[in-house]
Amino acid sequence: MEKKERQKLITNQHYDESVDVNDSDEITSVYSPSPRQTGSRKTRSQRAAMTNDSSDEFEEETKNKKKEPASVIQRGLMKNEEEDDDEDDDDDDDDESDETDSDEDEGDPGSALEGAYDPADYDHLPVSSEIKELFQYITRYTPQTIELDHKLKPFIPDFIPAVGDIDAFLKVPRPEGKPDSLGLLVLDEPCAKQTDPTVLSLWLSENSKQHNVTEVKVKSLENPEKNPKAIDNWIESISELHRSKPPATVHYTRPMPDIDTLMQEWPPEFEELLGKVSLPTADINCDLGEYIDIICGILDIPVYKSRIQSLHVLFTLYSEFKNSQHFKALAEGQKSNTSSAPRSGTGEAETLTFD
Amino acid sequence: MLGILSRVKPAVGGEAPSSDKKKKNKGKKTPRLEDYLAQRDYLGAITLLEFQRSAGERQEDADLWLGYCAFHLGDYKRAMEVYKSLILKPGCPVEVWVYLACTLFFLGMYKEAEEAALKGSASQLQNRLLFHLAHKFNDEKKLMGFHQNLEDVTEDQLSLASIHYMRSHYQEAIDIYKRILLQNRDFLALNVYVALCYYKLDYYDVSQEVLAVYLQSVPDSTIALNLKACNHFRLYNGKAAEAELKNLIDISSSSFEFAKELIRHNLVVFRGGEGALQVLPPLIDVISEARLNLVIYYLRQDDVQEAYSLIKDLEPTTPQEYILKGVVNAALGQEVGSRDHLKIAQQFFQLVGGSASECDTIPGRQCMASCFFLLRQFEDVLIYLNSVKSYFYNDDTFNFNYAQAKAAVGSYREAEEVFLLIQSEKIKNDYVYLSWLARCYIMNKKAQLAWELYLKMETSAESFSLLQLIANDCYKMGQFYYSAKAFDALERLDPSPEYWEGKRGACVGVFQLILAGREPRESLREILPLLRNTGNPQVEYIVRTLKKWAKDNRVSV
Repeated sequence: MEKKERQKLITNQHYDESVDVNDSDEITSVYSPSPRQTGSRKTRSQRAAMTNDSSDEFEEETKNKKKEPASVIQRGLMKNEEEDDDEDDDDDDDDESDETDSDEDEGDPGSALEGAYDPADYDHLPVSSEIKELFQYITRYTPQTIELDHKLKPFIPDFIPAVGDIDAFLKVPRPEGKPDSLGLLVLDEPCAKQTDPTVLSLWLSENSKQHNVTEVKVKSLENPEKNPKAIDNWIESISELHRSKPPATVHYTRPMPDIDTLMQEWPPEFEELLGKVSLPTADINCDLGEYIDIICGILDIPVYKSRIQSLHVLFTLYSEFKNSQHFKALAEGQKSNTSSAPRSGTGEAETLTFD
Repeated sequence: MLGILSRVKPAVGGEAPSSDKKKKNKGKKTPRLEDYLAQRDYLGAITLLEFQRSAGERQEDADLWLGYCAFHLGDYKRAMEVYKSLILKPGCPVEVWVYLACTLFFLGMYKEAEEAALKGSASQLQNRLLFHLAHKFNDEKKLMGFHQNLEDVTEDQLSLASIHYMRSHYQEAIDIYKRILLQNRDFLALNVYVALCYYKLDYYDVSQEVLAVYLQSVPDSTIALNLKACNHFRLYNGKAAEAELKNLIDISSSSFEFAKELIRHNLVVFRGGEGALQVLPPLIDVISEARLNLVIYYLRQDDVQEAYSLIKDLEPTTPQEYILKGVVNAALGQEVGSRDHLKIAQQFFQLVGGSASECDTIPGRQCMASCFFLLRQFEDVLIYLNSVKSYFYNDDTFNFNYAQAKAAVGSYREAEEVFLLIQSEKIKNDYVYLSWLARCYIMNKKAQLAWELYLKMETSAESFSLLQLIANDCYKMGQFYYSAKAFDALERLDPSPEYWEGKRGACVGVFQLILAGREPRESLREILPLLRNTGNPQVEYIVRTLKKWAKDNRVSV
């Protein structure tokens, strides 16, 4: 493919004998500047670039060496543009028209151009000598070779994704020296799903009954609105934690009856009586303490000095009934029946209501 | 098929750990450190260790375990602190110095790492570490020394392979991995290393294949899933890559720093630089590509100075770094006109483009083309650009360089075509573009289009230069009408005798073309006022001759 391209370049230029035509173009333009320099202000940087490179151009250079002193090449390197324009202008005047011809002979770039102006094409025109004379004005001016700047627009590479480094096996071994096969059986990377330290430490202290809650750091979340997943995860893990918590046990200072015993059925006569007489409600004319004593008495819960522990037994009993599938069904079937299980508004409600 | 696989795998991966966790909690047993380590759940392990310490349960080696966990979590700073406090204690095992050195190595504190490593006792780990440090220090002599000390054990060989990898000797690395894999079929992680090598060799589909072996057994691996996304980026596009990364985001818990940084970084890459200024600066020196990507971002924003200040102190080691340094120096050199920067750029380009590993890659070819462009050897530029042309059909940057090279070797017709493909307004307003396009027009005998380019320009030094170009190039090509117009405009701006001579010749040239029947006779009417604009006595003589001819030939003037 490259070869083909080269050939194409050659065939494009009928007047050329070698591949390097265009190089020679530029070289002649560099080393045989036309009499006037106004046009070639922009050429200096390019000359500079040309002088320090390739060897194949060098041969061409030598051809022109006689004509152009090396100092010009040097000046090109210096890049002091405006100054040497003036110098060049000084000798412009002498070689105004007499040197132009020889320039062309040396291979003026124009002559190498495809389709360039060639006065010979018009020699045949049948014109008066006056007009022929006029035509000489055309060749008397030699067009400047204007060197144009090039600009390399550097290719900007694509963004580079990070793939991470390869395992160099510069790793800390297990303290007891057992092989961990990290980097061999599995990559030595933390698994993607790491335990949330806050949840785990809450869980650990819960499980070990060591409530050093002060040490637990609860992290905060930036941009919570953008991170619903993190919030959901947190809620999920905390509720799981609460579910897994063992129910709180209270050690009673005085003997208390077993909850199961308290849940036993009352004697039939008592049940029968309850059909006719309802349990005393909170409207009864006594204070709260006395009312607690009455209710605990009815439910066989002993009351000692303090009522707190008795109340705990009372509410535990309530909670057991409330959560018992058996009694729930029973209560729903016989709403009218005032059983020992205190009625609650609905099966689900959390409020404790004594009627 | 790949698509289906990719969707199924992470879903499985996402569930596995959570069910494990439930088991743990439901069991209501005190979790064991070993369980967390087996899961590579180092945050869990560390939490457990800390809890046991606060509960006074575990003493023996607790700090060593803590260091081990922090290290493998990638929290090298914490691991370093643990080991630093350990070495202060009396009776500390001497190998802890090497562990400390490992953490320092990953923190990029190579000098300190070397000092610490040398305080430890000789071991394979110590040798491997010193081997890698010698590589970081570019100390070939030491490197060879430690290389000699490597033994024929798996860890040492794998460590050697990673050095090959870092020196871009991917084939050598692959050879080692494949050899070890042959002996140990169950070393699945080695497949990922091989996949990484193939990725670096631009064999993205091979990389995917090898990677799939590992993902089959560890579907939620961060490194493997990320590499898969990167392969997708190279094989398809940013969107496909982002979709892959999404899987990883869904799996990884929010407390996992290493993955988070990698994901954040690569999302910027996959989204073509979106959010680069927010995300990348803090990741510089954390993720090695972050600095390069920020440089690329600045280059795309044309902020060459910022790009340069970010990269100037970087000692290039990878082809990508060499390329980027070359690009930045080339851009800066042209912007401020510094030969030094251009020289550096050219050298970097030559180095990459001429290297065995890069000479046949697209960036390698671009480098060679850029190198020759800076040397103004446009024949050679074209050889390299032609070889990658098909990849850049609509690329303005490529076309701009390509058209200039075409024009420089005289292929003006193709150059014109390519120049006209360019869409970027910025390039189209660049004087380099305008002047070269004008020259192409003139060489292709479309002087009028060149003249129109001039008419559209604001008056400036550049429009003056363009006039000179049109005047002289048209003259050369015998397109005297526009040459005359351009010389006339020049003369009015600067009444120098040179412009007069040019105009005189061009006007007579128009006359000659009329006589030859190559220019309409009416043009004569436009030429006469141009001549009269000049107060030179010659004018009268010429005008008289032209008018006489007009009269004789019944052309109204």
